Amino acid sequence: MAQLHEPHIACHVEDLTVSYRERPVLWDIDLDIPPGVMAAIVGPNGAGKSTLIKSVLGLVKPVAGHVRIFGLPVAQVRRRIAYVPQRQSVDWDFPATVRDVVLMGLYGQLGWLRRPGRKARARAMAALEQVGMQDYAARPISQLSGGQQQRAFIARALVQEADLLFLDEPMAGVDAVTEAAIVTLLKAQRDAGRTVVVVHHDLQTVARYFDWLVMLNQRIIAQGPVTEIYTEDNLRAAYGGQLALIGSLRGHGLEPDAPKPDAPRSDAPKLDAPKAQTDA
Amino acid sequence: MPQNWTLRKPKPMLNPTLITVIMAATIIGAMAGALGSFLVLRGQSLLGDVISHAALPGVVGAFLASGGRGFGAILGGALISGALAGLVVQMLRQGAGVKSDAALGSVMSLFFAAGVVLLSVAQLQPGAAGLTVFLFGQAASVLRADLMPMAIVALFVLGVLALFWKEFQLVTFDREAAQAQGLPVLVLETTLTVLIAVAIVLGLALAGVVLMVAMLIAPAVAARQWVRSLGAMVVLAGIFGIVAGSGGAFLSALGTGVATGPVMVLMAVALTFGSLLLAPDRGIAARWQRQRLARRALRGRQVLAALHGLSRDHHDPSYRSDEAMLDAYLGANAAPVLARLERDGYIRAAAPLAPENEVRRWELTPAGVMRLQDVGASPDA
Repeated sequence: MAQLHEPHIACHVEDLTVSYRERPVLWDIDLDIPPGVMAAIVGPNGAGKSTLIKSVLGLVKPVAGHVRIFGLPVAQVRRRIAYVPQRQSVDWDFPATVRDVVLMGLYGQLGWLRRPGRKARARAMAALEQVGMQDYAARPISQLSGGQQQRAFIARALVQEADLLFLDEPMAGVDAVTEAAIVTLLKAQRDAGRTVVVVHHDLQTVARYFDWLVMLNQRIIAQGPVTEIYTEDNLRAAYGGQLALIGSLRGHGLEPDAPKPDAPRSDAPKLDAPKAQTDA
Repeated sequence: MPQNWTLRKPKPMLNPTLITVIMAATIIGAMAGALGSFLVLRGQSLLGDVISHAALPGVVGAFLASGGRGFGAILGGALISGALAGLVVQMLRQGAGVKSDAALGSVMSLFFAAGVVLLSVAQLQPGAAGLTVFLFGQAASVLRADLMPMAIVALFVLGVLALFWKEFQLVTFDREAAQAQGLPVLVLETTLTVLIAVAIVLGLALAGVVLMVAMLIAPAVAARQWVRSLGAMVVLAGIFGIVAGSGGAFLSALGTGVATGPVMVLMAVALTFGSLLLAPDRGIAARWQRQRLARRALRGRQVLAALHGLSRDHHDPSYRSDEAMLDAYLGANAAPVLARLERDGYIRAAAPLAPENEVRRWELTPAGVMRLQDVGASPDA
């Protein structure tokens, strides 16, 4: 058993550097995500958001740095972690039913040579009910819509009853109703004491959905409670000069810059006090 | 073991030779179909082709080295050169950055060319004439004594497949999820590839290096059309493999010196085309039928909507529309559509206004009005 290192932190990353061939993708990442939060990882395309999750999970081998989950190396706590990859990462024409896919979430826990039995099936059904897909259990996955695929994948993660969930763009390409359902579901997971880490692409919803924020662009730009981190300065640092984008985000929980007396911002509309950040 | 590795004349039907051939083809077909499912689902059909072609230098090399055609020597030689080919592909892709399909294609040709060169050299040796059967396969070249080791290897391969079934399933469907759950993905994938390679190599004498991979791909593609689970796909592909293998072996044995591989492959491909065409849900015929029904339903709704619109325009709920107007509206003969709608009770015919007017007139029934509302499409939208 390795020495416990930062056991009070759900996901602790230190000096992590990842490069594909000679090109660095993540540079010297130091990251701490406390337990019981719902955290978003945001950043522009190519910022290394997915790579960060994958290297935390050990799917990508870093050139330097280390990761601790609840104080332990990932290999020792796999059962406490669940992962939802990007929906497009698999071939949905694979011959399997929705229930088959959810059961796959239990394969690691079952261990070698054991087949999923009645208990596993019951757990799979319960997970499907959580995502509202119980009526689709026997449906071939090739017949699912994008939102249903995503919910099946989330059920496959929920069935593991893990303490720490990583989701890679779960809201990408799903309709508004499904997105709302997924957010409610993930918030319930957080409220049950679990830690949820989501790669997210929609800046407009960051403040509403999440209570912890990691801004990434190859390096960590900022991390912390969303109310403190979601600021124009940080966005500018993460997204570069795309100021038009930032203007459009006012009113979505975006914190204004600290007022600068020498540079009055005549173009910016007066901002109301920031909205309530979470409904926790 | 006597080296009767030369072609033998087929004897009357169901002689011991033919029985041996059919049994061998059954074993090979079942294994090729089952493993082929994984090959196809992993999108590695081309890799299968490489393994198969690359076996040729190994087979000939093993013959030259051991001075005869022993089951074990041939199997070992083929596997070694197959593995070597795999290694070269890996080097080209990761070391030199060659695109996957280009790497596979060039390595396949490279090893096959080397095999053919070796083969022409080997032919000078006594007893080597029969080696050419490995190009296209010859059922009669399978000896009775080969059956038992063949069956043992096949059982072993299928046994490993069954033992690690759920792991192979997860790795094939979602490699990253398997890795995240802590499965040794690399070991599992390598094992699966080795099993596939064994299935290919075992069938070489029967189907030949050029065509063997079709015995893996075709039954799997055919089986995919009919099933909704991996287990069913593997079993059905195995059955298709048996049908194509034993059927092909039998047919080719009826002629004199007909290469077995092509006949087996023709049968397998016939099964595939049949499945692609006829399978429920996924088949082409089923898709056409669905499209036809959808078009038909659309036409019906169009006509109902037109009737509804005309009666509204005339401020007459019981307005009867002239069939010719409906023809004009559809841009085609409306009669078949009208007949269907009448049969279903959505419209009814009214008598012509004037006796000299031959054309029928139609009105919506209450059921037809309901039908329009059911669909939710406002007819005047």
